[in-house]
Amino acid sequence: MCKPWLSLYKIQLELRGLLWAFRVRQSVLLEISRILNTGLDMETLSICVRLCEQGINPEALSSVIKELRKGTEALKAAENTS
Amino acid sequence: MATPDQKSPSVLLQRLCCRILGRSEADVAQQFQFAVRVIGSNFAPTVERDEFLVAEKIKKELIRQRREADAALFSELHRKLHTQGVLKNTWSILYLLLNLSEDPRKQASKVTSYASLFAQALPRDAHSTPYYYARPQTLPLNYQDRSTQAQSSGSLGSSGISSIGMCGLSGPTPVQPFLPGQSHQAPGVGDGLRQQLGPRLAWSLTTNQPSSQTPTSKGFPNALSRNMTRSRREGDPSGTLEVTEAALVRDILYVFQGIDGKYIKMSNPENCYKVEEKANINKPLRDMSVRLAELGWLHNKIRKYADQRSLDRSFGLVGQSFCAALHQELKEYYRLLSVLHSQLQLEDDQGVNLGLESSLTLRRLLVWTYDPKIRLKTLAALVDYCQGRKGGELASAVHAYTKTGDPYMKSLVQHILSLVSHPVLSFLYRWIYDGELEDTYHEFFVASDPTVKTDRLWHDKYTLRKSMIPSFITMDQSRKVLLIGKSINFLHQVCHDQTPTTKMIAGTKTAESPREAEDLFTDLENTFQGKIDAAYFETSKYLLDVLNKKYSLLEHMQAMRRYLLLGQGDFIRHLMDLLKPELVRPATTLYQHNLTGILETAVRATNAQFDSPEILRRLDVRLLEVSPGDTGWDVFSLDYHVDGPIATVFTRECMSHYLRVFNFLWRAKRMEYILTDIRKGHMCNAKLLRNMPEFSGVLHQCHILASEMVHFIHQMQYYITFEVLECSWDELWNRVQQAQDLDHIIAAHEAFLDTITSRCLLDSDSRVLLNQLRAVFDQIIELQNAQDAMYRAALEELQWRLQFEEKKKQREIEGQWGVTAAEEEEENRRIREFQDSIPKMCSQLRILTHFYQGVVQQFLVLLTTSSDESLRFLSFRLDFNEHYKAREPRLRVSLGSRGRRSTHT
Repeated sequence: MCKPWLSLYKIQLELRGLLWAFRVRQSVLLEISRILNTGLDMETLSICVRLCEQGINPEALSSVIKELRKGTEALKAAENTS
Repeated sequence: MATPDQKSPSVLLQRLCCRILGRSEADVAQQFQFAVRVIGSNFAPTVERDEFLVAEKIKKELIRQRREADAALFSELHRKLHTQGVLKNTWSILYLLLNLSEDPRKQASKVTSYASLFAQALPRDAHSTPYYYARPQTLPLNYQDRSTQAQSSGSLGSSGISSIGMCGLSGPTPVQPFLPGQSHQAPGVGDGLRQQLGPRLAWSLTTNQPSSQTPTSKGFPNALSRNMTRSRREGDPSGTLEVTEAALVRDILYVFQGIDGKYIKMSNPENCYKVEEKANINKPLRDMSVRLAELGWLHNKIRKYADQRSLDRSFGLVGQSFCAALHQELKEYYRLLSVLHSQLQLEDDQGVNLGLESSLTLRRLLVWTYDPKIRLKTLAALVDYCQGRKGGELASAVHAYTKTGDPYMKSLVQHILSLVSHPVLSFLYRWIYDGELEDTYHEFFVASDPTVKTDRLWHDKYTLRKSMIPSFITMDQSRKVLLIGKSINFLHQVCHDQTPTTKMIAGTKTAESPREAEDLFTDLENTFQGKIDAAYFETSKYLLDVLNKKYSLLEHMQAMRRYLLLGQGDFIRHLMDLLKPELVRPATTLYQHNLTGILETAVRATNAQFDSPEILRRLDVRLLEVSPGDTGWDVFSLDYHVDGPIATVFTRECMSHYLRVFNFLWRAKRMEYILTDIRKGHMCNAKLLRNMPEFSGVLHQCHILASEMVHFIHQMQYYITFEVLECSWDELWNRVQQAQDLDHIIAAHEAFLDTITSRCLLDSDSRVLLNQLRAVFDQIIELQNAQDAMYRAALEELQWRLQFEEKKKQREIEGQWGVTAAEEEEENRRIREFQDSIPKMCSQLRILTHFYQGVVQQFLVLLTTSSDESLRFLSFRLDFNEHYKAREPRLRVSLGSRGRRSTHT
């Protein structure tokens, strides 16, 4: 219709592009995580990604996660044994 | 609606804990604290942040695990990630994944030693975490809070720390608390902040328990106490929370529609959008918000105008189309907003799951709304300029805005102009093709006066409304347009010619779409002008054809010339001959029907009988108003009846002009007639009176005076007939033949009448001259009377003498004395009486001559100082042998200087 409102379409394209890029990123990271056998599911992975993007130290974060996992297993083991 | 702080790191961390442990929020408090501690204390990474190093490490690990295919796949994926460019910290993620990766060949080892950590921390933490637990988002772990802290020098920043301060964590901390002062020395934003935060956080965690710490420097307790007081001062946890960009984005999207947001509101006294002062928004965000808010202000302005005008009933079609155009533009604008809203909605609903960063930032909005902002600015400017205008004026205002060099703005305004001018053009086309005017709101530049009746239709009914002429239509074009419609109406109503316009005009009728209007503007000069010219040409030609063929306009004009302007010489002469005995009688004894009968006799006897009966029907006698002492000559006039369409050209004023001129010409003709009579008298009586030698002196004087008068009248007649009437008529006729429309004819006709009126000395400037001329005419009449008397006396005398001679002869024949003494005495006495009366006659004539010459001299003086050239030359002809110049000193001045003199001598 009116040419000048083409910016609207550009905006939509841009947003869709962003969405797609995120999805790609998500899938790529999921794949990498699968290859590396990290045992992270989609949601956990996304939370980790966001935390890292916001600048959290991955060393610390990984140690936290390991601890939590171990804790879980320990508790589970404790539960199982009880 | 998701809270804006859901994406803060602390919240995420909490969710992570929930997720991994598989428990709800309430149960993960302890682990959460641990996580926070670990993260807070280990802020700076110990390895170098090199993405490729990590990638290599991963590949090596995979190869070590003998998974070459996976290694290749990993490189592929890594490359993809790299090209996508959506990750800021690719290194970070990869390192994390590497750390978390487990060799499938290894077994998961269960380490129970770490559990003790949790066990240790349990009792005390359980009591001291109400704030902690309740408000994880207050932890300053995310970037924004970091930045605020960097800027708020000296203060503790967010209330989160202060709240933590009140209920600190116990337990061993691996990191030494640093002084706040030290933390401010960190350079730059990125790494430096992270380094700052770590110690600051650690320190803040231990604020309330200074006793358990080992002071590392002297200043520590002071700083601590200082900061403690500060923390108490800023103890309010509710108000000073920093507003995130996401919150502002949401607000802005409302402001775009003209609705006040939470932080950005319209301030009515200043008529602008303002960000709330109290809200904790940092400066760049504040500035950007204000810039974006302009769009909302523009939207409000346009919306207000469009809504107000829609309610106004008398706004007219042009105004309504303008509002429609504005609404259309706003609709597109709303589409943009809906796209943004839907994006926001998408992120709210799915963003968390997808791990999406917010794609709507204020900066992105600034870029995206740049073009719409220009558009809205143009529209707002248009709205301002068009305030209070309607109709053609509004179209002119919009047209004024197309004169810009900016192509973007130009195309927008041109589009609006084509919509706005569409009603005007449709009015115009209707008017020029059908002659119809349906203009309820007075928007069109042709105005119709309903009170005017048919007889004045051409002159008074249709006028131009100058204020409503759009600026893209020139004055010339608008006049033509007026003329075309007028002609069509004239044809329909006055000429009773109902021929549809499509037969008149061969051209096609325009379609009624705005498309046509838009096309028109791209080629305004040629197409539009061409259309108007074609319509004008065809309609006017048709009108003139109808007038000439059906109503014989030109024939009537010629008839006027012949009868009222004494063009038909033989008829006029014959009429005068017949009327002479009637008109010498006093005016009160005249009857119209008698005179009409004489008129008809005259018509039948001369060439006038061959005129068409239509013309002869209109010819009539008219008796003017009688003043006491008038003879027939003073009240007689011819008349020519006009009606119907030709009355448009021969209006009432025109007819009165004609009658005045006729009066003048008739008088002059009468003088000519009189002098002819005098001449005739001379001829006849000269022979008879040859035998009266004493009378010859009188006769001679008479002849001389008569000749002078004849010369004068001849020159006057020549002047009137040739220089005044013939020349003007010729010009009129040429113009009328070449006329392209009725207005031309009317104008030419009026010019003609003006010329002959002024040249015949009938206008107000020449009143003096005219009076003088009348005086001359009066003298001529005087002469006629005097001469008549003289002839009567002379002829009577002659008769007596002849009788005497007759008697004498008779007696001689009878043989008596011819004459008795008494009779002879009688005869001689009579002769003597007669001869005595001669000097009286002579003197009478002399007086008359003298008077006449005086009047003529006066007349000549006036002539030479008149402004009209031909009158000045008339004075030459009247005084060709300088007869009067010899007697009148004023006439001896040269014509050059005479001419330059003004007319009041």
